[in-house]
Amino acid sequence: MMTRPSLLRRLVLPGIVLVVTILSALVVFAGGSSPTTSSSSSVLISSTVATANRQQRNYVAPPAAYQTGAPNSGAANSSKRVFVNGHLVAYGNKYIKYVAPPAALKSFGEALYMQNCASCHGVAANGVAANGSPDNYPNLRGLGAATIDFWIETGRMPAADPTSVQAPSRIAKLTHGQAIAITSWVDSLAPATPFIPIVNTKTSNVSNGFSLFALNCAACHTITGGGDELAKGTYAPTLRLVQPTQIAEAIRTGPGNMPRFTGNLSDKQVHDIVGYVSNYIEHPRNVGGIGFGGLGPVAEGFITLGIAAVLLLLIAFWIGERT
Amino acid sequence: MAEKTKQQAKSSFGPVGKALDELDDRLGIAKGGRSLLDKIFPDHWSFMLGEVALYSFLILLGTGIFLTLFYVPSSTVVVYHGSYLPLVGQKVSQAYATSIDLTFSVRCGLLMRQMHHWACDIFLAAMVVHMARVFFTGAFRKPRELNYVLGSTLLILGIVEGFLGYSLPDDLVSGTGIRIAFSIIESIPVIGSYIAFFVFGGNYPGPQIIPRFFIIHVLLIPLIMLGMVTAHLFLLVHQKHTQFPGKGRTETNVVGTAMFPVFAAKATGFLFMVGGVITLLAGFAQINPIWQFGPYDASKISYAVQPDWYMGWLDGALRIWPAWEWTGFGYTWPLEIFIPGVVVPGLIFAVVQGWPVLERRYTKDNEIHNLLDLPRNRPKRTAAGAAVFALVTMMFIASSTDVIANYFHITLEAVLWSMRILVVVVPIITYFLTHKICQELQASQGAGKRKRANVVTRTPDGEYLSAPAEPRPGDEHVDLEPEPVPDFLEDPVVVRERKELLSPVSFTGVRNVVR
Amino acid sequence: MSSEERTPVAFSVAKADDPHMQPKAQNPKLAETLIGLVMLAGIGSLIGFAVAYGMNAQSWIMGGTLGAGVLFLGFGITAWGKYLMPQGPFVEERHTMRGTDDERERFKAAVVQRGGGILGRRKLLAMIAGAGMSAFAVVLIIPVFRSFGPLPGNTLNQTNWKQGTMLVDSTGRPIRVNDIAVGGVVTVYPKGLENTDTGQAVDQTILIRVGTEAVVTQQGRESWGPNGYVAYSKLCTHLGCPVGLYEQQLELLVCPCHQSMFTVTNGAEPIFGPAPRPLPQLPLFVGSDGLLRAQGGYDQAVGPGFWNRETSG
Repeated sequence: MMTRPSLLRRLVLPGIVLVVTILSALVVFAGGSSPTTSSSSSVLISSTVATANRQQRNYVAPPAAYQTGAPNSGAANSSKRVFVNGHLVAYGNKYIKYVAPPAALKSFGEALYMQNCASCHGVAANGVAANGSPDNYPNLRGLGAATIDFWIETGRMPAADPTSVQAPSRIAKLTHGQAIAITSWVDSLAPATPFIPIVNTKTSNVSNGFSLFALNCAACHTITGGGDELAKGTYAPTLRLVQPTQIAEAIRTGPGNMPRFTGNLSDKQVHDIVGYVSNYIEHPRNVGGIGFGGLGPVAEGFITLGIAAVLLLLIAFWIGERT
Repeated sequence: MAEKTKQQAKSSFGPVGKALDELDDRLGIAKGGRSLLDKIFPDHWSFMLGEVALYSFLILLGTGIFLTLFYVPSSTVVVYHGSYLPLVGQKVSQAYATSIDLTFSVRCGLLMRQMHHWACDIFLAAMVVHMARVFFTGAFRKPRELNYVLGSTLLILGIVEGFLGYSLPDDLVSGTGIRIAFSIIESIPVIGSYIAFFVFGGNYPGPQIIPRFFIIHVLLIPLIMLGMVTAHLFLLVHQKHTQFPGKGRTETNVVGTAMFPVFAAKATGFLFMVGGVITLLAGFAQINPIWQFGPYDASKISYAVQPDWYMGWLDGALRIWPAWEWTGFGYTWPLEIFIPGVVVPGLIFAVVQGWPVLERRYTKDNEIHNLLDLPRNRPKRTAAGAAVFALVTMMFIASSTDVIANYFHITLEAVLWSMRILVVVVPIITYFLTHKICQELQASQGAGKRKRANVVTRTPDGEYLSAPAEPRPGDEHVDLEPEPVPDFLEDPVVVRERKELLSPVSFTGVRNVVR
Repeated sequence: MSSEERTPVAFSVAKADDPHMQPKAQNPKLAETLIGLVMLAGIGSLIGFAVAYGMNAQSWIMGGTLGAGVLFLGFGITAWGKYLMPQGPFVEERHTMRGTDDERERFKAAVVQRGGGILGRRKLLAMIAGAGMSAFAVVLIIPVFRSFGPLPGNTLNQTNWKQGTMLVDSTGRPIRVNDIAVGGVVTVYPKGLENTDTGQAVDQTILIRVGTEAVVTQQGRESWGPNGYVAYSKLCTHLGCPVGLYEQQLELLVCPCHQSMFTVTNGAEPIFGPAPRPLPQLPLFVGSDGLLRAQGGYDQAVGPGFWNRETSG
């Protein structure tokens, strides 16, 4: 007489299958699909120029890497400007303060540069290789402090794979202090604005920021900020792990294929966007349950067909007969 | 069974019996009621898939009524003042504002919204799976062709209804879908722009599309669907359900469980379980987070936007179809929209709807069929169905080209070209593969069925005899000969005490009493 | 439902130990206990839902308690039906659907002879009545459809961009020639229409600064791209999604919906994807006040293809 396997044995295998399915779905979607991570430290060396004189007549501002005539748009024609010994060291307004990297770190930065960057970008930071021939790697002169700082602090530079189409954001190899130092030296070769932005996110109007984000940023980065693949192997990275300073730097300098937003976004608008991204993209309010990485209907379709339909089929299989 | 020789003079069924008598006086339910309660439903598990669709439809109706009591279908611009900060002060449509209020300000509102949306996804999935079961087992054959057409029309209506429904909140993601719908309508040659302007009340976007979508979504289509579902169920009861061939089953009988009480218990229980699964999903799995999408603006767009899964095959077709627009005779023929957006789905639906007629023509089979086919025994039909299913599935996968490219770090170009090739190649391979598998399954004995062991005994003379083993515990009923539903039941307790009188009892769990 | 005649000559009675009446469970008492416990857990969960609702708990708590309660109750009722109720199987005969031959003859006679006879005797009247029904159907359709919306006319071929229209961004601010850095992109609208439906849906334009010198995208468009600015209709020529995605190093506009790619310096020619035509270009000029304006309308109708789309002007 054949005996039926015990209740426990009959339930164990289907139970394991169900648990494994649900866990893998959670890992796939709740863990997010972006390949990039970034966790640069957020403490910026505070400007040492608080004691400097405010305004100077007959002053010629350093060239802007990205020309804009609009005031309060990241260029040195902003409302408030701070000078030390005839050099512009900070400008901006109550929304964003653009601070030059401290000159004192220049020589430290030069040493770090030679160690980490010169092999690609050349000892003169002009993209010329050691053998004298210009290489593929960009000329770093005159790009503005914000540009250099952005690439290093997001971990994209030093590039893990210089031949890849787009350098991914990673855990930064260089610390925040080292990044500022290198920025200081490279900027000193051909000083240019924009300087490093420090955003006052406490006063951000997140509603205005949301609206601007939807118009200007969502087309590449998606409305939930998850990023996606673009043309010819490039991609828009996820925004879920970026520091406010780096968000503002990216907006103002347009790294890689990202367009640069200068005169068409005022400092107030940029600070609104940064406030929205820092508060709501990086901390999405998933009040409805598990967010599935903000992937939208694709994830929902997976859940419907892969989990719900299967679960209901299993229940029907239990209730009904097999013949 | 013992025959009752004389009728009982007076019924002794208690107050319930008296109430039933009163109802019968007024409505005449005794005549047909008994046969209804005795109706036999075969209880194969694959016959329950239509129930999933029915129950999720009921949940859609219930949660939908709740939502209509709060949602305002208007494109009038208002300034949002609520609890979600990134929207406060933004100019949004009233439709969007009330949908956000449902989410954040109405108690249980978010749960209802999510139940409604998950129930919709599951409703369509259940219809697809149920239709597949009907197709692959040949349940659409005479006399059930009309029921099949009703069902496939319900599927089409369900897809439209779902699209209209998720477009109602007027958020950025669904609004993009409405723009695409306008363009598809516009692309119909000669009359396209006329139809588009009539549907939208003018050029895109127009203030009328949300109110019109609303009334179609909550009144017109649900009414039509309710009527069709009622007709679908009526035909099912009138013609009786089909059944798989098996022990005691013929073309002229139905073997299973009676409507009352077993089927009613299982059906009610299943209704609750489907509702439970939907509610649990709605509690733990977020769906359509419209507050993260923001209000719709015709000049705003998000990347990585796909429609809901049941529209995905249309989006995929639109993505992979090459840019073959033709300008001729002074007019523009937007074939790159019209063919994947209108012609291809029209053809697929036409084939699906017309399959009973096509198969009847091809097989010249005009017989009544109440016994189902095993899919393996009809390899051509099974393979054809699998190929069409594979085609639609590949189109569905093609709608997430950018997500695939992003997740697997492949270029967009590579994914798109792969999908263009796969959408042609995979259905062809599927046809031949399925055909072969069916033939293999036919050739093998008892493939896929639960094996019944043979018990081999050796006689003292050295002869070996084999006999099928006893059924597994819990499966003894499989070996039983089906018998008609009895009119009355013996009450074992009463019988023990009063052997002559036979009195009926109510039908709860009868204990295994040893006499 | 079906009107079978059951002549109750002899009733059938099932014996109490009939195997068809037995529950399927091997241990019905244990099954009953377990099912009872599960259903009690369900009731408890439902009470939990009531409490959660009263406390305005988060959605997942309300959903979890309600869902678990309903699920457990459903499981209990189903298990009761499956394991504790009579296991069957039972059978009933199908009644033949078709009527008897006599019934069929009489039915067909009713329809064909009576109906055909009537119509055959009054052929002219039948034709007029038929024509009347068709006319009614046609006439009914006309107002039903025609009242829905205006005729398209030439609306789809037109935009609000005229000679001298000023370009403004979403806040209404005009664009100065020195405002946008090279590699920058702005969504612009005709002045005054940036907050209107038609301005957003039809006139939306993407303005890109690709350089500092004049940009010539096609022959005959030498003056269209002053100071490195080019402007294209933001409506994708595939299905009308806003083409807001600009990759500045590749100088490529990508439509986010179905990934059509347009080369910006080449008149927005589509090089990939389902879009069939280039994005129409808006000719620009820089006014004496340094503000960007349009020289006129687009070179062709914007947006997706439709039947009477104008290909020039």
